[in-house]
Amino acid sequence: MIETQWITPINTMMLASISILLYPLMADTLFKTSMKMQARTAVKYAFFSTLATLIMFINLGMEINTTHINLISSTNFNVGLSFKFDYFTLMFCPTALFVTWSIMDFAKWYMAHDQEVNKFFKYLLIFLLAMLTLVSSNNLFQLFIGWEGVGIMSFLLIGWWRTRGEANTASMQAIIYNRLGDIGFILTLAWTGTNVASWELDQLFMLKPFDTLPLLALVLAAAAKSAQFGMHPWLLGAMEGPTPVSALLHSSTMVVAGIFLLIRLHPMMEDNELTRTTCLLLGAISTFMTAMCALTQNDIKKIIALSTASQLGLMMTTIGLNQPNLAFLHMCLHAFFKSKLFICSGIISHNLSNEQDIRKMGGIHKTMPITSSCFTIGNLALAGIPFMTGFYSKDAIIETMNSSTLNLGALLLTMAATVMTAAYTTRLIFLVQTGPPRHYPMQKITEDKTLSNAILRLSLGSIAIGPISAMTLDQTQTLPTTVTTLIKLSALGATMMGIFVSLIFIHKNKQNRPQKNNLSTFSNMLTFYSSLTHRSPTTHLLKKAQKVSTTLNDATWYEYSVPKFFSKTQLKMSKALSFLAQGKVKTYLAVFTMSLMTLIILTT
Amino acid sequence: MEFEHWSVQSKSNTVSTRLHCRVAPLWAQSVSGLSKDMLPGPYPKTPEEWAAAAAANKYNMRVEDYEPYPDKDMGYGDYPKLPNRSQHVYRSLPLHWDFDPYLWTQVNNSLTTFFAFLGFMVFMFFIGYLYPSYQPWGQSSILTMTSIWEQGGNPNKKPPKVKHYEI
Repeated sequence: MIETQWITPINTMMLASISILLYPLMADTLFKTSMKMQARTAVKYAFFSTLATLIMFINLGMEINTTHINLISSTNFNVGLSFKFDYFTLMFCPTALFVTWSIMDFAKWYMAHDQEVNKFFKYLLIFLLAMLTLVSSNNLFQLFIGWEGVGIMSFLLIGWWRTRGEANTASMQAIIYNRLGDIGFILTLAWTGTNVASWELDQLFMLKPFDTLPLLALVLAAAAKSAQFGMHPWLLGAMEGPTPVSALLHSSTMVVAGIFLLIRLHPMMEDNELTRTTCLLLGAISTFMTAMCALTQNDIKKIIALSTASQLGLMMTTIGLNQPNLAFLHMCLHAFFKSKLFICSGIISHNLSNEQDIRKMGGIHKTMPITSSCFTIGNLALAGIPFMTGFYSKDAIIETMNSSTLNLGALLLTMAATVMTAAYTTRLIFLVQTGPPRHYPMQKITEDKTLSNAILRLSLGSIAIGPISAMTLDQTQTLPTTVTTLIKLSALGATMMGIFVSLIFIHKNKQNRPQKNNLSTFSNMLTFYSSLTHRSPTTHLLKKAQKVSTTLNDATWYEYSVPKFFSKTQLKMSKALSFLAQGKVKTYLAVFTMSLMTLIILTT
Repeated sequence: MEFEHWSVQSKSNTVSTRLHCRVAPLWAQSVSGLSKDMLPGPYPKTPEEWAAAAAANKYNMRVEDYEPYPDKDMGYGDYPKLPNRSQHVYRSLPLHWDFDPYLWTQVNNSLTTFFAFLGFMVFMFFIGYLYPSYQPWGQSSILTMTSIWEQGGNPNKKPPKVKHYEI
């Protein structure tokens, strides 16, 4: 039975946009046409459709539209399909679709020589559908369906080149880390199902104050999905996948699902100080650690992956500050320049015969002018240079941090991370684009028109979307209007400091030979986290388990408990009693005498 | 009826060459390509058995490096006690003079450094808990009930009616 509430144009158009994406998945089987153009066209039309709904929402000011279809209904527990088209959904959908449109243009070029390119585009579309299900769901169950969907597609796409051992390892690592986080999500589902008897978000938000256990479980789920400290190694390993996968999943859409979960469920968390403090401290340590590690990496994709993790830490910190709208703004703006950075890195490495080491690049501002310009714009936006897209959200976050009452350690770590972000973006710009070319000389470098259009679109977004979004931000809380000059300039000062320090070191490195340094090794090896936690604990655990199994099961039960025990006791007994069978008369006389005396004693 | 009797005898006696050569008749079906003396056997008790187990045709190790598990009925036999680390990672080996350390990543780990980093983070958060960062609070400009009484006023008194016009 379908129960509908407020069938509005926004509702219909959003559902139609999601349905547009289903067509290429079915049409490929029915009509046997090329998947690449269909998928790209469908995503483009879905983007324009969702953009229209966003404009309608901003103009008409309608807050929430939901459609409820009951799947399972019992006496006190109902599970159904319900969609929530509020500010977060209507803002995120066009962002994700715009980014996917550009990535599909890039993937058409990047995966041109792949034999299963149709299947690749289908996987991307299924991922996109799962992501849109996640952001538009109005209950935890439907959200979990989208959550698992993006995890599974991430596994399939990271391991796309399945003949590579490293790709298989990376995809297993990703799915296992995500599964550890799913423990938290399932715990929340179980707790809410048992205690609240509902998974609908509107009903959960009415229950205040919320218990700490399900909230911390949600933080665990978000930490795993969004690669926070402790659950971050999978994001770096995910760079084994094709660059379009890294650009779509591991920069703008899938990794922000954890942050989106916390933003969506923020009304449950806003009164719980322990949860907010956990988010703040976890975000601070994540952003600092990943920014520190990005300073000494030499693989372009790894640097951009670590910068993604650093920005995710910043978003987590913002949630800890009780500012979900600001975190959401940063999430949407970050998607533009981060996906553009990945696309540019893919174009550069593909043109240089899959060279990903930035020490072997250089001089591409002459050979690839459009790509290098867009790469520079993306890096400047990431660093938070004034009036680029990243500036609007990052500056607001740092201002909010400085004017809030919070842990000083978290504040200092975040400011240090801002300095380091500016430093490694400067390093990236200089080493990748400037200087003499350090790559192999005979390279066929092409800048396709479709490719250029894709990155130019994203560049336009990286410049213009910032002020547009800042003007249309959902003002639910009074923003700080009076801040001192020092606080206002703190973010800018940190960025400039990072750029100047990086320029000094780049200039010095041209003269001096690089030397081995313990701190540099610590940063390059990602704080030794992977090598310490992936190998030693599992090996020791397996060895102990093997020892317990062989000792307890094989040795004790199969051998020592019955067979050998019996044989030893029997042997002892038979050895002890063997003197009776030796045929000596004195033995028989002794036995006879002893038994006679025993009989006399017993009878008297 | 004749059976084809193809059997190749290898000249060298190493495991690798014997694996690639057929040492059994063509019609013989075996589970693996290894013969009985290539498989792990009982615990070596004599020096000759020790040397034979370590030799190139069994485990391909030097006699000095070869060490079997202790003979405690655990079923290991003469299988060597290999170090507990993976053979698939690059580890710190003596480097050639011309070896470029910036091309290959070597596996390093230092538990002390990692815990020092974690300890530093915890220390930062502890200091931040003791000394939180906040904006200084100024005097409130909103008049409270107490301040009105202190200034001699009466909040319960109605304000006087102001006439804005004159007729």
